Amino acid sequence: MKKLALPDDILMQIDKPARYIGNEFNSVNKNPADVDIRFAMCFPDVYEVGMSHLGIAILYDMLNKRQDTYCERVYSPWPDLHNLMKERNIPLFALESQDAIKDFDFIGMTLQYEMCYTNILQILDLAGVALESKDRENNDPIVVVGGPCATNPEPIADFIDIAYVGEGETSYGPLLDLYKGHKAKGFDRAAFLREASHIPGIYVPSLYEVSYNEDGTIASFGPIYDDVPKTVVRQVVTDMNASSYPTKMLIPFVRAIQDRVVLEIQRGCIRGCRFCQAGMIYRPNREKSVEVLKAQAKELLASTGHEEISLSSLSSSDYHALGELMDFLIDDCLSEGVNVSLPSLRIDAFSLDVMSKVQDVRKSSITFAPEAGSQRMRNVINKGLTVEDIIGGATLAFKGGWNKVKFYFMLGLPTETDEDMKAIPRLANDVAAAYYETVPKEQRQGRCQITISTSFFVPKPFTPFQWAPMYEAGEYLRRAKVVNDEMKAQLNQKSLKYNWHHSDVTVLEGVFARGDRKLCPAILDAYKSGCFFDAWGEYFDFDKWLAAFEKNNISIDFYAYRQRDLDEILPWDFIDCHVTKEFLKREWNNAMAGKVTPNCKMGCSGCGSKALGSGVCHNAR
Amino acid sequence: MRVRVRFEKNGIMRYVGHLDLMRFFQKAVKRANLPIRYSEGFNPHQIMSFAAPLGVGLTSAGEYMDIDLKEEVPTSVGLSALNENMVEGLAITGFRYLPDDAEKCMSAVTAASYIVTYKDNKDDACYIENICDLKEKFFDEAANINIVKKTKKGERELDLKPLIYRFDIEVKDGVPVYDLLLSSGSTDNIKPELVIKAFHQFLGLPEFDDLSLDIRRIDMFTGEPANFVSLGAIGDEH
Repeated sequence: MKKLALPDDILMQIDKPARYIGNEFNSVNKNPADVDIRFAMCFPDVYEVGMSHLGIAILYDMLNKRQDTYCERVYSPWPDLHNLMKERNIPLFALESQDAIKDFDFIGMTLQYEMCYTNILQILDLAGVALESKDRENNDPIVVVGGPCATNPEPIADFIDIAYVGEGETSYGPLLDLYKGHKAKGFDRAAFLREASHIPGIYVPSLYEVSYNEDGTIASFGPIYDDVPKTVVRQVVTDMNASSYPTKMLIPFVRAIQDRVVLEIQRGCIRGCRFCQAGMIYRPNREKSVEVLKAQAKELLASTGHEEISLSSLSSSDYHALGELMDFLIDDCLSEGVNVSLPSLRIDAFSLDVMSKVQDVRKSSITFAPEAGSQRMRNVINKGLTVEDIIGGATLAFKGGWNKVKFYFMLGLPTETDEDMKAIPRLANDVAAAYYETVPKEQRQGRCQITISTSFFVPKPFTPFQWAPMYEAGEYLRRAKVVNDEMKAQLNQKSLKYNWHHSDVTVLEGVFARGDRKLCPAILDAYKSGCFFDAWGEYFDFDKWLAAFEKNNISIDFYAYRQRDLDEILPWDFIDCHVTKEFLKREWNNAMAGKVTPNCKMGCSGCGSKALGSGVCHNAR
Repeated sequence: MRVRVRFEKNGIMRYVGHLDLMRFFQKAVKRANLPIRYSEGFNPHQIMSFAAPLGVGLTSAGEYMDIDLKEEVPTSVGLSALNENMVEGLAITGFRYLPDDAEKCMSAVTAASYIVTYKDNKDDACYIENICDLKEKFFDEAANINIVKKTKKGERELDLKPLIYRFDIEVKDGVPVYDLLLSSGSTDNIKPELVIKAFHQFLGLPEFDDLSLDIRRIDMFTGEPANFVSLGAIGDEH
């Protein structure tokens, strides 16, 4: 029988013990004695969230294709187990072998959102690995992070040995080869990290030094040694068809958030919304061929037994052969009891037709993400969606039998006025009015239901809004109140419903997103005072964070509320994301002028990613 | 045509709950390419039902699920196709075609047999030397065994005696091993913990902890006490 790291009495008293036993169908089991490198791949959040993440699935499969490497998985133990592990000194273990990850060669973590930073420390702490990179010794694992937040790794620079900047498919091979070479000749941590910094996309924070101006901004940032590159170039897959993609996916026992086949149809987005980090850093837009996708869909459905398949991309409506792909999925898969779930598509005649084939129209809702209520504001953020698109799409949907609409907006966008906020419920009201005009009384099944959700805008690195100021928590709530009050003044207010987010966590996210190395001691103190699972409302404790900031002289004002100068050295400027700073400045100025920039299929706006030589930039138009 | 699949749940799979196990089997049947029938309607689901759910922490040698197939698959093919899609701790041990009038496994269950022992061989019960004699007083010679059973609605008095069909003890290496056959199913479902707890009370032992027991279900039965039939004995291999 497979051994378990946790004793029976613990497993019987914690919530969902199956999170911690491994043994999932399609998981990879190797004999540790047969490999040179043991890699613990971690998603620093609870199992059900982490098991849903496509990036980990791709890397797990890719690393295990190497005969010399055994990649296993780790997720954050939920607080009930965390406390028991601490009490009884049980070291954190990998799911497959149940071995302690302290003895592994690598601990890799993906950073999908800023609020997981304390969970990085939880993982290291439970593993028994020194929290700060400077305290680690030759036989400790190399701690490497990746994912979107690794495009500004500075707030966690002290905790990591390496940030892998970019898409994991390209540089892990060279990194592991180098490691193996160093291990064979007697491992010296400093020598390995120094040489690793020469690999494209590999950033070793300890090899760089920062000096600051009196006002706290960066005066200089650069490598300590001449051989360490000044600029770290973000890694990008150039051929999505040839890129490693799993043919099997793990089947968790505990239901994951994504309990379905996830098929990545393309990477990157042509749209260029100015608030969107993914839309910038994943440039250029690169599609997979429809033949490759059909084969992957068939293979994955067969190897997993999933009864649902979902397409993954930033904007599926822009995929060139969506019709052909959907026809294939509907004809070939629906008949076998498999559902096709639709990602957020642009609402038009085509998507409604597809949706009516795969969903129960009466139960499902249609979704719009205009992100802003007024046309002026939508031009500022470069969201190319007009009132006509929205009312027209909704009207078509109402004719097709739908009566539920969901809207997603952001509050606190640059230049936003009260009029822009009020436009949000007015737009929703117009959509409700369209329902009552479109659907005759006798065909209505009660009122239509229009749900408005707003989140608060957080400026992110490598976007045209990276210089923008945020607002204090109270101001966000005031804006939500403006929306709420205006909604109550609408004629169709009984058909409208409004949800908004908490604002404290938004401010903290804003501090981390554009933070620098000076935040590291504060994050460490926050963890030591009990902060973790900050992304989970029930565990988020803003007061503890405020105390940690105060102790370390961290000013929220400096990181979040300040308008940054366009010429300021930003903490992430040493990373080359292919999108140039000149382009981002140009886009900032276009935003301030309310000027729309065409999408990548309409014309090239010279963002810089064309130099990569692949994707939409080089497609025949 | 309906097939009754018999399986074992062993080792670390004890920590996987019933709903999670059902979802695992839905996917396993799909991977095995069995021609399972789907329900009608907008959200078709596989026609699949399980006999009495097994609690988290228990293992079993005799679990059952009934599935409805659109076309016949030879027993040997069904067994191997499913077994190829199991994980460590799950094994398919039966694949039999049910007669048309066979009751669904879920409602057919009337009794279940268990082997119960102690996880920790220092349990108080391990120090009672005449435990087998005391068992005769507790069970064989008793006219009734009245206990208070906690239910969702509150507490109710219950006589266990007519619901226990077998209660034997064998002491192995100083540790009592119980062999039980208990009423099971939708009415009068008696969990082995409840019986051992009543026995502990009879023995005058202090506070009883459910988790101190190692419980393995051996099989499930249908019919009346005089002629119990294993759920796995119904139907034929094809």
